[in-house]
This record gives sequence, C-alpha cells and structure tokens, in this order.
Amino acid sequence: MKPPTEPRRPDPRRPLPRSARVATAGVAAALGCSLLAGCFAGSDEPTARSDGRISVAMLLPPRSGLSPLSDDAFKLSRWSTAETLVRLDAEGTPGPFLATSWERTAPTAWRFEIRPGVTFHDGSELDATAVVGALTEAAGASPLPRVLDGVELSARAVDDDTVEVATATPDPLLPQRLSSPQLAVLAPGAYDGEAVDPVGTGTGPFELTSVDGTSGATLDRYADYWGTPAKASGIDVSFVPDGTARAAALRTGRADVVEAVPVGQAATLDDDLVVEVPMPRTNTLYLNNAKGPFRDPAVRAAARAAIDRARLVDQVYEGRADEAAGLLGPALPWAAALREDDAYTAALAQRSRPARVDGVRITLATFTDRSELPEVAVQLQQQLEAAGFVVEQDVREYQFIESDALAGAFDAFILSRATVLDSGDPVAYLQSDFGCEGSFNIAQVCRPAIDRAITAAAAAEAGPERQRLVMAAEAAVLAGDTVVPLLHERVLQGEGTGVEGALRDPRERELIDADTVAR
Amino acid sequence: MPVAASRAGAALALLVVVGCLPWLARRDPAYTVLRSRYAEREATPEALAAVRAELGLDDGPLGALRTWLGELAHGDLGTSWVSGAAVGPSVWSATLTSLSLMGFALVVAAVVALALALPALRGAVAGRGRRGGGAAAAALTAVPEFVAGLVLLLLGAVWLRWLPPYGWEGPSSAVLPALALGLPAGGLLGGLVASAIVDAAAEPWATTWRLAGARRRTLAVALLRRSAPALVGQVALVVVGLTGGAVAVEQIFAVPGLGRLMLGAAAAQDLPTLRSSMLVLLVVAGAIGLLAQLLRRGLLAGATRGAALSAAPPEASRGRAPAARAALVLGLLALAAVIVGGLGRDPYAAVHGRLAPPSGALPFGADASGRDLLARVAHGALSTVGTGLAVTALALVVGVAAGCLPRAVVGPVEAANAAPPVLVGLVAVGLAGPSTSTAAMAVLLVAWAPLAAHAAALVEELRAQPHVAMLPALGVGRGGALVRHVLPAVVPAVGRHAALRLPGVVLALAALGFLGVGSPPPSPEWGRVLAEGAPYLERAPWAVLAPAGALMLLAVLATAAAALAPGPWTTKARPLLRPGLRGRGQVRA
Repeated sequence: MKPPTEPRRPDPRRPLPRSARVATAGVAAALGCSLLAGCFAGSDEPTARSDGRISVAMLLPPRSGLSPLSDDAFKLSRWSTAETLVRLDAEGTPGPFLATSWERTAPTAWRFEIRPGVTFHDGSELDATAVVGALTEAAGASPLPRVLDGVELSARAVDDDTVEVATATPDPLLPQRLSSPQLAVLAPGAYDGEAVDPVGTGTGPFELTSVDGTSGATLDRYADYWGTPAKASGIDVSFVPDGTARAAALRTGRADVVEAVPVGQAATLDDDLVVEVPMPRTNTLYLNNAKGPFRDPAVRAAARAAIDRARLVDQVYEGRADEAAGLLGPALPWAAALREDDAYTAALAQRSRPARVDGVRITLATFTDRSELPEVAVQLQQQLEAAGFVVEQDVREYQFIESDALAGAFDAFILSRATVLDSGDPVAYLQSDFGCEGSFNIAQVCRPAIDRAITAAAAAEAGPERQRLVMAAEAAVLAGDTVVPLLHERVLQGEGTGVEGALRDPRERELIDADTVAR
Repeated sequence: MPVAASRAGAALALLVVVGCLPWLARRDPAYTVLRSRYAEREATPEALAAVRAELGLDDGPLGALRTWLGELAHGDLGTSWVSGAAVGPSVWSATLTSLSLMGFALVVAAVVALALALPALRGAVAGRGRRGGGAAAAALTAVPEFVAGLVLLLLGAVWLRWLPPYGWEGPSSAVLPALALGLPAGGLLGGLVASAIVDAAAEPWATTWRLAGARRRTLAVALLRRSAPALVGQVALVVVGLTGGAVAVEQIFAVPGLGRLMLGAAAAQDLPTLRSSMLVLLVVAGAIGLLAQLLRRGLLAGATRGAALSAAPPEASRGRAPAARAALVLGLLALAAVIVGGLGRDPYAAVHGRLAPPSGALPFGADASGRDLLARVAHGALSTVGTGLAVTALALVVGVAAGCLPRAVVGPVEAANAAPPVLVGLVAVGLAGPSTSTAAMAVLLVAWAPLAAHAAALVEELRAQPHVAMLPALGVGRGGALVRHVLPAVVPAVGRHAALRLPGVVLALAALGFLGVGSPPPSPEWGRVLAEGAPYLERAPWAVLAPAGALMLLAVLATAAAALAPGPWTTKARPLLRPGLRGRGQVRA
C-alpha cells in the first residue's frame, strides 16, 4: 500500500467541537436524571411480613381506574373494600350483607332493609338515599353493567333505611343480581367526578387508600367497620401479568396470596402452596350449526364421538381440570345429580349416530388469552383428524377473533365460557349462547325446543324447580349435539405457608376478608 | 432545516395515522373499548351505541383529530376512553418509568457492547484488522427479550434470591429488567461497533499511524472516534426502542412503562392515551435524534475541517477472516444435520409425552403438546429462514435507497422506529387483511428504519470526503457519484448490519401472530416454537433451547456470511475514474 502523500486524519488530541460537547453533556444529564430513584413508582422497598399486612399478586391490572361499573368491580370485592346489599353463599343462595332482610312486595318490586350503623370509609353514613344513589348510577351507566343487561332497574327510598327496587318485568333473581360487585354501594362522594372513585368510599373491612396506576394498590384496615374488624392491618396489591413472575412471587415469599397460577407453573411449586378451586367455567367446542359440514347433526355427532376428554385433561391441564359431563360443571353442585333424571337421559338418547367422515375439511379457531386453549386446539386437531376430519387452525388474541366467531366464520370454535357470571344463575348464559336471539350465539343455533326450554327456566323461581328446568334446557342443547362440552377449569390459587383464611371463591368475587391473615 | 421539516412531517403523519386507527384498522372502537371494560359482556347493539355516543365517535377521523389538536393547544391531553381518567398523569408517570428503565438498560448495553468490541479494537490496534465471525454478538442479538427476561427472573429472583421478581419500587427492581433489555441491545451495538472499527482500521491513515509508531492508546481512541459518526444514530434509535418498545420485559417484571401503556391503548384503540403516548415518544425520539445529530456533526466536523476524513475504502483485501469462515462452515454443518435429521420426522403428531425430555428417540425432547422438537425445528427451518431473509433483504434495499436522501429520511426513520409494532400490525391488517404476507409487510414497515439510518450516516460521511466531494468538479454527475463511489462503500457495511438484525426480524414475524397474521398454527415457525416453549423454561429448558439454539445458529451464520461477503466494491469501481486521475491515487486518500 502506498503511504498517502498528505496524511489526512482525525486528530484525537483536538478537543471535540462545541456542538459535540453540548450533545455529550445532554446525554449525560438525561442519563443521570433517569437514574434517580425518584422515577420509581413507590418509594417503599418491599417490606418484611412482620407487619400484619397481606401481600397479593393479581393477574390483570385495572382497566377502568377501578370503577365498579366495569370488570374492575371484582377487584374491589376481592379486597373486601366495596360491599353489596346481598351476598351469595357457596350454594349460590342470597344472604344478608348491607341489607339485613328483603321481601318481594309485588311481582316487579322488592323492599330491602338497610343495615344500620354502617359508615363509609369517608365517614358518611349508609342510608337509603346513598343506596338509591349508587343503584341509580349503575342503572343509568353507559354502557349498562353486564349484570343489568335486559333489566330495567329503578330504586327509590321508602324511608331512611328501606329501599324499594323495581324492575320493568318480573325478575325472580333480583336478590342474586344485587350481589354482583358491579352493584356495590359506594359513598355518594364517589360518584361526583366523571369516573366513579372507589378510593376511601367503600364500606368494607379494608379501606382503599391509594391506587398506583396499573402497578399496584394499597388498602388499610378500616377501624369503624360494622362487622368484626379485619385481623390483618392492610393489603398490598401488585398487578403482575406474567404467570412465571406470579409463581416466582409465591416461591420467594414476595406475595402471600397469588391469583391464577398457570397450570404449567404449578408443577414447579410445592403442592401445599397451590389450592385448586373449581370454576363455573366450561371449555366448550362450539360447532357451526348454520353452515358448513356441521349443519349435519350426524357430522356434529362424529365430532362429539372423536373427542377424548381424558387426554385433554391429562395432557393440557395435567389433571387439574374436570372432564365435562354437560354444560354446567362441579362449581354448580346441584347439576350432576339432575343428569340422572329420566327426562334428561331420554333427551340425550335421541342424539344422532355419528356419521363416517373422511376428508371433511373444517376450520378450528380459538384464542391465546387463556394460555391453555392453543394447546387444547393442538390436541383437538389431532383427535379430529384421527376421526377423518381435515383441520385448519386459526388462533388469535380474543379481541381480534371474537367478531369473526360471532359472525359464524369458523366451523368450530373452542371457547372458555363463564356459565354463571354475575347472578350465580346459568340461565343468562344459556339464553345468550343458545337462544335464537342470543347475543353470543357462536353456534349459530336456533331451535324452538331449546328456546322453549330456556324460556321455561327463566320464568321459574329460584330453587329446585328452576334447577330442574335449567338441566332440561341443557339436555335440549346437548340433544342436538349443538356444542361439545370439553372440560371444566379449575383456577389455581397460590397461598404462602403463613396464610390462613384466604377465600377460595369459584365466582372470583372474594379473596381476602376480615378473617384472612398472613404470618 | 430540511431535517426539521422531515421530523415534523413524519411526526404529523404518524399522529394522523394514530388518529385514524379505527378507520384504518377497520375495527369499531366502540367494540374495543367495551371489551376492555367488560371482558365477557356481550357486545349488544345497545351497549355499542352507548359507548359510541359517549366517545363522540360520530365525528369521523378528521373531526376527532381537530378536537384533539384544539385540546392539545390548551395543554389538555384529554381523558382516556377506557378508564375515563385524565391521560396526562398516566402518560407522564409511564414516561418517567420508561426513561429510567432505559437509562439502566443503556448502561448494561454499553458495557456489553464495549466488551464485545474490545477484541476487534485490540486486533485493529495491533494491525490485525480481520473481521471475526462476531459470533458472540450475533448470538446475543438472537436472544429474545422475553426469554432473557424469564431466565433472569428465575436466576436472580428465584434461585439466588438477590432481587425482587417484579415491581418498580427502587433501584433493585430495575436490575433484572435492565439486564434483560441491555444484553440483546448490547449485542447489537457491540456487533456494529466491532464492524465499524475493523472498517476504520483498514483505512490507509491507520496503517500510516501504526507504521509511524503511534501509541496504541492514541490509535485506539482515534479508531473509536473514527467509527463513532456512523454509530451515534444507531445508539439513538436503540435508546428510543428501549424507551417505548420494552413491552415484553415490562410485562414480565410488571414495570408500568410506556411500552405496556401503548400496547394496551393500541389494542383497545384508546385513542387519547395512544396519541399522547405517541406524542411523548416522538418528542423523546426527536430530542435524542437531535442530540445524536449534534454529536455526529461535531465528530464529522472535527474530521472534515482542515483534515478530511480519509475513509476511502481500502485497496487491500479484507483479512481472510478464518474465524468467520470456520463459523460459517460449522454453522452450515450443524444446520444441515438438524434439517437432515428432522425432515423425516412428523412435526405435528402430538404423540409423545408432554414435555418429554431429550432421549435417543427424541434428540431435542418434546414440547408441551408432546410434539417432536427436532422435527419442528427442522420443518420450520425453510419457512422461517426464507421469510426472514426475504424481509431482511427487502429492508436492506429500502434502507439503502432511503439512506441516499440522508436529510429527508431522518423523520420517517425516527417515526418508524418509535411506532409500536402492534400499531403497525393493526394498520397492516386493516389495509391488507389477515393474510400470510401481512406479517411480513408489517415487519418490513419497521425493519427498514435502522438500516436507512445507518446508510444515511455513511452516505453523508462519504459525501464529505474529498474524493467524493470533488467528483462534480471532475464532471461526474450526482447519480454517477452515488452509484460508483458512495453505494459500493455503503452496501457492505449496511448489509452486515442487516445480517445482525435477521433474528430480530424472525422474532417480530412470529410476535404478530396474535393478530392472526403470518402462517397459522400449528406450523413450526421458530418464533412460534420459541414462544410456545417459553412458559416451560424452568421445567423443560429443552423446549426453549431447541428453537433458541436454532435461532442463534441462524444469527451466527448470517453474520459470518456477511463478514465473508465481498468487501467494499470500490476496488472494482476505481478503474472507472477518469484515466487522467489514475496516476494521482491520492484522490482517495
């Protein structure tokens, strides 16, 4: 190589020009600021567990600023900060809570006696006016809370501690409805702003003192609680979307109680740290009854016959689920016995004989939000193809697939469906999923027999008769192989070794109450 | 001034796209907002109408944009469509969180990058300016952040118990996320720095200095400084990427940062939150870009004033790069072995035990559905590598072409780099429908930007050099100068950069699967196999190792191949100079 005649080169000893120095200083300043601890959310380092507080790791961050008029309502009730007029027991029977008693005064009207001596966390008193205000706010919300879908509800104060709640049409389930966390009663001050504010406005044993965006919330014991005061001095909530991180929190003692441990993580945890709670949730294969190969009941029967539930439960859920015998699972304890009923077995005996399928092409869709479902799809594809179907999968995140599913774009859709969402009663689920007018009719089904059975169940008073009619409706749905119920999920709740009295609620409304302690 | 205009134009264009998202993506915001308030509420027409009325969606995209600009003029960022709370505070706190996380991650990345570039610097100072395989850097860039995050979570929080598993409550909670972000970013930067140092060391002045007995330290500083102008722009892009694009890591460690906020807002089409976060991120991107520009101009001015950069690409052929050659041969052999061994096996049959460990019959073990991982990796190779290479090559072409307009391209590059991938994916799905090629299009829309920035930096630098600057005087037109003198020096360097980005492209293609784009499951794309295995990292490391190993192999192969590709083409282009100049070889010096 020829040496250059004129060495032209950068001179490293020359100081950087001014603009470069300014820029360097700017970068340094930005870095320095960013490293300041002041940029962190909470100033407290996680504290030791000796202070009587309970640390909880929850799955989903609040989406609506913890407004009870959204799914966030369930968080408020899980922390025992917001309370409702009525509370359901394990069987789903309504019992007193902020209302001490109630009676039906007319087909469309009920009277509730309000509990005396209850104060909100902001010091104001619970009276009929406050209850009427809260219920009116919910009934006028836009959009309407899920539990009030199709119910025109109004409330008025009869006297200081009596409220009359009326519906446009007779509603045998009104007390059950009023147990929904979305109808929690907050202090009048909570409804002043544009969004409902649950901070310091509940009545429960714990007062919500601060909410830290989507990262956490803090609750302290409320000394003037109307019942027995809380044993724990407070609750520290973190929202931890990642399953591995939640499991790690339990193993490291960072959290005392952990919501929704993924099935895949449970095997890495000590067995005594995980509690299985059966859920009123059914994984169901919805078949397209209106178009495609599954129009033919015999082909639907072939799909039913192809499915090996035991393998699904074993391979995907590692045994932590129940094989489905029908649409309603063990979370509704009365369902199983009614399947022995003669009428029920007779209805199911009419089902078509499976057709022989060979090379029938179908699309099988599901979503990724519940991490087990894509794995269920893999197993189902295998089982259906073994029976002669040719399967093509379509898997997306739920909100990107729901409208296609509702429009009947797929031949088969695997859905994890809550069967008793708000009132503890499954009729609303049957109506929306299997009624001709149902708003969630993925199966595209419309059969008069099913509609009649559901209408009969909807009109019945709560009790054994209603339960029998619900099961008759289930039989009507299954008799046509409309859908294939696969399995009933269990939620895995993580509880640290020192935790006592955490609630294991299949409806996911309760978690920590006044009796819960963590040592 | 053109740079400022380009920035403003691109930022405005991006904000308009965001403002029109529901119309571009063809998804009803009333539906998405309702869904994010009530996950399982039936979307009845009444409920949708209620939301629509509440949000004022009937004005159309222009009306909504006008309202927003009006509010913005009053310093009002509006209220979130989902939560109904003021947008300002949540965006502000997310921005602070993200900036501090970025700061920590940048420290990690700087340390990693320097460590990776040190061997190259040592060699260059000693006169062995050979391009190594860059295997370590390539392998690091192939580690997806979600895998790095999970490994660090297990290591630092569960096994060692040194650090909290999640949260954002003090410097100790920033360590793990910063490492998860900083390691891959450091790998990328380290690869770029090493490559630039080798280029610089091959320039005549470096040889002269060495022969003249310059002190090693002096030479090292000069080499670093010579490499810096092309790199500061890349660092700026990485900084912005770490600020707004750390979604996976923020999710794992529950960090309430800007990435998660924008992901949620884009999915729910919460326009007020999305617009404001985007605006903040664009301001950050602009500010950092401006800093980088000043720094680069300073560095270039130092070289061009009085003494021009002597970056005429070297005549001497590149070192033979035995390391790169060895890496290439070994990598090809390994990949061939995997493919030959796995092609005859069934990648779809779920017949083995759930998460069966590796054995003689199942060399790579089985995944959670009991499928043969060797078969899946082998069958996925063709489509993964094929699509990845095609998108990367297109990004290279677009990037180099765009880089020829170094000033005009600044704004679009910054906007494309700051735009969240989910936003780009949503718009792509809206425009092209959910097809296999939509994912490729969406990734391409983002992937060209860093390459264009790199090309632009090199083009500007070359144009400042005497042997290019004097070409007009010699009667060589702009086009001729570009084709014969600028591009031949730019393409190889940017090509090596593109190779370093290949694993990122493969992962991005798989990451958009949640929109229903790309090849549908259960096809064994490596990105999908990796994502399926990640939740089982601790119980069944093989479910992650097989696809991650394959991806690392691909990264090493790609960088080794790029290192061995023909060096700067100027040696061939030189005879095209006018004959009269040939005797005066100094024009290039």
